[in-house]
Amino acid sequence: MKRTHQYRRFLCAGVAALAALLIAGCGGELGEDAPPDVPEQTPPTAGVELPPIVVQEGDGLPDSLPADLVWETNNEDPTFASPEAKRGGTFRTYMESFPLTLRTVGPDSNGAFAGFLRYNRLGLVTYHPNTRRPIPVLATHWAFGADGRSIYYKLNPKARWSDGVPVTADDFVFSLQFHRSKQIVAPWYNNYYTERIRDVKRYDDHTIGIQGAEPKPVAEMHYQYAFGPQPRHFHVLSDDWVRDYNWKIEPNTGPYQIGKVEKGKYIELHRKADWWANDLTYFRHRFNPDKVRVRVIRDMNIAFTHFVKGELDAFGLVVPTFWHEKATGEPFDAGYIAKYWFHNDLPVPSAGMFLNESDPILADPQVRYGLAHAMNFDRVINTVLRRDYMRLPTFQLGFGDYDNRAIQPRPFDLEKADEYFQAAGFAERGADGIRVNEAGVRLSLRVTYGYPHHTPRLVVLQEEAKKAGVELELQQLDASNSFKHLQEKKHQIGWMTWNSQGLSPRYWEHFHSVNANKTQTNNITNHADPAMDELIMAYRGSADKDERVALARRLEQMVHDAGAVIPTFQVPYTRAGAWRWVKLPAWLGTRTSNSLFNSQALSAGSFSSGGLFWIDEEEKARVLQAKDDGETFEPITVVNRDFAQAGASG
Amino acid sequence: MRLLTISPLAAKQWRRFRSIKRGYWSAVLLGACIVLSLGAELLVNSRALVVSYQGEWFFPTYGGFVPGRAFGLDYDHETNYRELKAVLATRGEGDWVLLPLVAYDALENDLREDAYPPYPPSLASGHYLGTDSTGRDVLARLVYGFRTAMGFAFTLLLCSYVIGIAIGCAMGFWGGAFDLLFQRLIEIWNLVPFLFVIMIVASIVVPDFWTLMLLMVAFGWTQMTWYMRTSTYKEKAREYVLAARALGASSARMIGAHILPNAISVIVTFIPFSIASGVTALTALDYLGFGLPPPTPSWGEMLAQGTNHLESPWIVTSVVAAMVAVLLMVAYVGEAIREAFDPKKFTYYE
Repeated sequence: MKRTHQYRRFLCAGVAALAALLIAGCGGELGEDAPPDVPEQTPPTAGVELPPIVVQEGDGLPDSLPADLVWETNNEDPTFASPEAKRGGTFRTYMESFPLTLRTVGPDSNGAFAGFLRYNRLGLVTYHPNTRRPIPVLATHWAFGADGRSIYYKLNPKARWSDGVPVTADDFVFSLQFHRSKQIVAPWYNNYYTERIRDVKRYDDHTIGIQGAEPKPVAEMHYQYAFGPQPRHFHVLSDDWVRDYNWKIEPNTGPYQIGKVEKGKYIELHRKADWWANDLTYFRHRFNPDKVRVRVIRDMNIAFTHFVKGELDAFGLVVPTFWHEKATGEPFDAGYIAKYWFHNDLPVPSAGMFLNESDPILADPQVRYGLAHAMNFDRVINTVLRRDYMRLPTFQLGFGDYDNRAIQPRPFDLEKADEYFQAAGFAERGADGIRVNEAGVRLSLRVTYGYPHHTPRLVVLQEEAKKAGVELELQQLDASNSFKHLQEKKHQIGWMTWNSQGLSPRYWEHFHSVNANKTQTNNITNHADPAMDELIMAYRGSADKDERVALARRLEQMVHDAGAVIPTFQVPYTRAGAWRWVKLPAWLGTRTSNSLFNSQALSAGSFSSGGLFWIDEEEKARVLQAKDDGETFEPITVVNRDFAQAGASG
Repeated sequence: MRLLTISPLAAKQWRRFRSIKRGYWSAVLLGACIVLSLGAELLVNSRALVVSYQGEWFFPTYGGFVPGRAFGLDYDHETNYRELKAVLATRGEGDWVLLPLVAYDALENDLREDAYPPYPPSLASGHYLGTDSTGRDVLARLVYGFRTAMGFAFTLLLCSYVIGIAIGCAMGFWGGAFDLLFQRLIEIWNLVPFLFVIMIVASIVVPDFWTLMLLMVAFGWTQMTWYMRTSTYKEKAREYVLAARALGASSARMIGAHILPNAISVIVTFIPFSIASGVTALTALDYLGFGLPPPTPSWGEMLAQGTNHLESPWIVTSVVAAMVAVLLMVAYVGEAIREAFDPKKFTYYE
């Protein structure tokens, strides 16, 4: 679902990076100086007939709008942008590789730049970043159907594509057809828009209905089934669509549109001066810079030196060495660059060691428990991670009521590890101190991971595990290959992090037996347990929140009891540095801000927390002058704990 | 009869080599380093050399691991000998521990709860060159990394020279279609972008010592073929080879006994430079992250760490200094060998 699509983004980012490396230097002039608001000329040739929307037996929306709908909206929640914000300036940031396409679907469309494109494709509604309640975007009102799986939306008549064409109900009908068509070469979207979205209907120009596959709790309906429009006037589907639209700039509905493309070097996004949503309650005083320039800088360390020189305006400092060591010295002490440490309250990415239960050694739960007790995460946290990270207690966390806070993670405990390993038959130690069982099998396990900066964490675990008589063999692949390796279930222990988002945890993709022992699924532990399957299906099918909460907590307990996942770390905050002229509201961010210097909106499915900062041009001139003159300011380090969890450091 | 007869020519070359002081002493020093690194476990190791415990003697260096419980400590994993030394000293029962010069090995994380790595050099902690970002001793990693690099370079040299010389000789000796075929093959093979191949392989499998070796040999043997081909062509036309042929010597004998010994000077002068390129190639690959898997101690990995932690200058300084020193010495040796083998010294027209 939405998350899977995140993984694919992660997978493709790596592939894109490699490919970009190979084609670097083949820069062209495409898109150079293309004015942002002029529609692309689409040759009206070779179009294929759009498939009619086929509705399966038992599905389908009523032909006319039900009369008993209760229309809801939400303009009452507190706003979260600062009225002091000033429009203008250029925000300079970077990406690690140039995108292979400007399409948002189809091959290679999940690169790092896709985030900038997607955030400017607004959805029907989004979620308030503090209250987590739906707020209007393209839709002004919504209502839920009696079948528990339909939603009706009234569209904002003011909504416009970037080329001035109004957004209408037809764009949503087209969106479904578009995403179901084979020409876009996007099997994931094909499947999602067929299996999960069952019907869409236009009632008038500004009223639509959407029907999903199964009933969901009202609070999750938008997240599960609302989807965005697709510009019907722009796309001509043909068998060459993927190639023809590779570098075309698609009209969008968000605050920014691509203004300038220098292939291989940078992409510039321009703010729409007369953006249709400027005056929506929750969009006022947001998305302030006139331009966002995204440069290609292929290495994080090099990007950081650009940042310190003042060539980038802001830089993420979550990684401990960056915050503690690199982000020190002259520009920081002189107050030119401010440092922000902001605690947030978001679904926590599921970082863990995923044990492949199909492996002969790891099939034994005793070995898995022993292994969990042999991992000294505290030592990693207290040394190489500088006490900045926290132990993650459960596989999924940060979903409010759904969290099972009763579970304690298995601690580093050599005696317990010894007990479990003895029980599993690994009683003796060989000459090198590693345990061996009676068959002569050594307790040596391979850990597959994808990021070089995780090596220090793993070498500490590796050394500590030797004390328990376990050998960890480190297999570092590049990020995309590591993910592929795990999806093909070739690993013993997979060291990885799943992105978490949405309103409730997910178990089906990670633990249901239909996904076990199959390639290209997210059940990378190959866990298969009929009792768990039953609960997962009940959880998926239930529309009652209390029941779902109870089931989720039971499922989380079962995940813990199976021992197939050893949860590792969580980072319950975001950190960044920014030049003094980049201003933030007094409250810095929102409860769900995962980045303070995200220049873009977040569309439906997530929390709309982006675009709160602004660039103060006068301050910029002043700071640059002061820097030339050698004048200094008070250093700024702001730590905000408004939304901090108990026990978080900093 | 003497076991080893040194030809007057070889003796002359040796004398000439010795007379070039810079090269000679570099060779001595480098040789000593290599020999010492072979016994690195005795000099740089977290395991003690000798433990005398309750009348019993332990020599843990090369043996199996000794659990802490064997020395009355309360754990079953490998004894921490530095701690043991302190413990035994306080017990005062006449037991003692003899530690190597540097009491850390290359893989061990010496982490403290009160400070974050990398730790600066300190005599008190015994980290004479400090630690890297995970608390591993820089000196220990330098020493073991040197051994790995040298082992790699020498094995690479041996393998690629054996193949290169064999094929080069065959090309020169047989000539004709065989020569033509291999010339073209090698030209094509040389066009394969070697670094990309390694990058691709490294992204699919984790290269270990032998996979890397295989890859490097696969692309490294060609260089030698050209030189061998030329000198074989030259020697083949000499009268003594014709004489041997007239006497009915086999091809193998003609190549092995007559041509090769006379072509050897070409090979010998290339050896030091091949070593240097072997070391730098491995270092470069490790630096880029396509080399040996972690946590293998390697200079390239240290260089990468050092450049990422410029605020901890002891890492990058140590490894750069070590590299410069080793490569300089190798270059001096190479220079001296070339000088010693230079036939111009023996002409009468000097």
